Amino acid sequence: MELMNEIKIKSKNLNVYYGEKQALFDVNLDLNEKEVTALIGPSGCGKSTFIRCINRMNDVIDICKVSGNIEIDGVEINDKNLDVVSLRERVGMVFQKPNPFPKSIYDNISYGPKIHGKGETKSELDEIVENSLKKAALWEEVKDRLDEPGTGLSGGQQQRLCIARAISVNPEVILMDEPCSALDPIATAKIEELIDELKKTYTIVIVTHSMAQAVRVSQKTGFFHLGKLIEVGKTEKIFKNPDNKMTQDYITGRFG
Amino acid sequence: MRMNFVLIFLITIFSLSLFFYGRSKTKSISIEKNIKLNALPKFYGYYLVLWCSIPSLVFLLIWTLFEPVIIKSIIIETAANQGAIFNDKNEANLIYEKIKAIYAGTYFGDIDTILKESALSYAKFINLFTNSKIVLIFAIVIASVIYSLKKIKNNNKARDDVEVILKGLLFASSLIAILTTLGIIFSLLFESIKFFSVINIFDYLFGTNWSPQRAFVRDASAITAEEYDELKDAFGFIPLIAGTSFIAFIAMLVAVPIGLFSGIYMAEYASVKIRRISKPIIEILAGIPTVVYGFFAALTVGPFFRQIGENLGLTVSSESALAAGLIMGIMIIPYVSSLSDDVINSVPQSLRDGSYAVGATKSETIKKVVIPAALPGIIGSVLLAVSRAIGETMIVVMAAGLAANLTINPLESTTTITTQIVMILVGDQEFDSPKTQSAFALGLTLFIATLVLNYIAQRAVKKYREKYD
Repeated sequence: MELMNEIKIKSKNLNVYYGEKQALFDVNLDLNEKEVTALIGPSGCGKSTFIRCINRMNDVIDICKVSGNIEIDGVEINDKNLDVVSLRERVGMVFQKPNPFPKSIYDNISYGPKIHGKGETKSELDEIVENSLKKAALWEEVKDRLDEPGTGLSGGQQQRLCIARAISVNPEVILMDEPCSALDPIATAKIEELIDELKKTYTIVIVTHSMAQAVRVSQKTGFFHLGKLIEVGKTEKIFKNPDNKMTQDYITGRFG
Repeated sequence: MRMNFVLIFLITIFSLSLFFYGRSKTKSISIEKNIKLNALPKFYGYYLVLWCSIPSLVFLLIWTLFEPVIIKSIIIETAANQGAIFNDKNEANLIYEKIKAIYAGTYFGDIDTILKESALSYAKFINLFTNSKIVLIFAIVIASVIYSLKKIKNNNKARDDVEVILKGLLFASSLIAILTTLGIIFSLLFESIKFFSVINIFDYLFGTNWSPQRAFVRDASAITAEEYDELKDAFGFIPLIAGTSFIAFIAMLVAVPIGLFSGIYMAEYASVKIRRISKPIIEILAGIPTVVYGFFAALTVGPFFRQIGENLGLTVSSESALAAGLIMGIMIIPYVSSLSDDVINSVPQSLRDGSYAVGATKSETIKKVVIPAALPGIIGSVLLAVSRAIGETMIVVMAAGLAANLTINPLESTTTITTQIVMILVGDQEFDSPKTQSAFALGLTLFIATLVLNYIAQRAVKKYREKYD
């Protein structure tokens, strides 16, 4: 019997509104440390909205209002006085479409550490860049061309570059918003392999449209529908023997 | 002339009535013969309208353009045959103008027999031309109506034909725009060539003294070698380009930071509400006529600077490069701000998200990600603003001064290319004097300079756009 890891992130009665429209309804979801949690559900069901609450990326959207609680290590992050910048330093994010900066590969990685004052000297920075790229399994492919633009890499490499960028500031949590939806199967396989490796160090939340991917990479799965968390549990259970009829219908492809 | 309006009116009325005729006619044909029309009845109407109006109106236009020229040459020739004496073109023109005035009843000098005879034949030709014009236009209208009626009775593909005619019309319009531009370029070019055949192009490009009034009444074709020695250093371009660049530089010092910062504020910080109010207000600046800026510069800012200068014990000319540059800068702010707002807005949100996600603040994101990504576009917008600045005329005419000083003191008066063109072409001029021709050379130089700047700017903006699309 595998031991459940400790709870890292806890959401309580989380509601999100975009203007008049409510996007999330009373979501209560616990995410375990050093584990991969997959969020599945049809488009527009609120799973991306949910993970964007964890690093408060929704702050960027003017009309978005969040109520309820999210705690990381027992500390409330929806607090007005919380330093969003240091929250995002702890909670990294990888987006649906690879979004490297139009800068060199090196500068893409060193960007985060530099603004947080990590890596004061050139050699420290070099080390951070090398380690991040190694952790993102990209080092071998790019070590000889660190000064070339990051936008010149292939799609899969760009996405691993973005993962390396997220790792570079040494976060505790990595949020991944459909990280493979713009990639081909081989690049996807590499990223999934990487996620498996990363979960030893980081708490990972991944939004995905591919149920096969959820099965392959995650230990826990949450199913969202129309802004509500319908069911959450161990991935094996959700996919083999869900409690809810709707979950059953979704994973067997009857809707969504 | 009045006849033309009557003709245009008649053609229009007739064509429009043909629309209704064509529409109902084809309807009845299709019912009578029980055939399916190749297009909706209204297209047959359009077809008739276009065929009736375009050939006749085009003919009328061409006729109106050439009629005076032809009549003039005929009249001058008949006058010459009757014994009128004129030594050159100008005298011939003068006699022709007299004849026209006699015909119009507005000539009050002595009328000798030659003039009288010529005026009579002028009247005769005017009548002849007007009558033949009317006859020809009627012939054209009738011919084209017969042709097009025959076509529609044969159930032609009127919809496609209308399409072809409309395409031709649109093409002709764009052709006119292009030809006009070419015409302007060539007129600049030919006059400049005349100028450079008198003044060596190197004396022009590298001379440091600009005083074209020295060449005021000299006939370009009859300048002797000694006179040329005296003239060659009167057309030095350096002080003008120096003054132009200097004022443009001051304008950029004002416009680039303020415009760029306000563009950043608009694109990144302003809420929808503030943006909705303040963006039009900034753009109103672009709608103020430059002459208004000009007198603001000349009457308010210039004296203000001079006052300050006096208080500080400095001599400030009331027409200073500083005043002109400052006001020009204010005029250019909306160009820089609105263009940089656009390029900053087109930086994809995903880049900002990527930066926020590693914990960057808004200003760090703007400074290190957004601005570098938008840089080519921003440079493009600045270059466009520079080309506006060097082409700007009214403000510098009113506020910068006329004397071509080669100076880098912003408190002294200086002059620009555009100001000099205005000064040369205001008032009476001899068209074959190098002084007048030098205006065209200046215009050509200015045109080339702004063309190059615009080209570079547009390339920069385009390159930037392609990167993310």
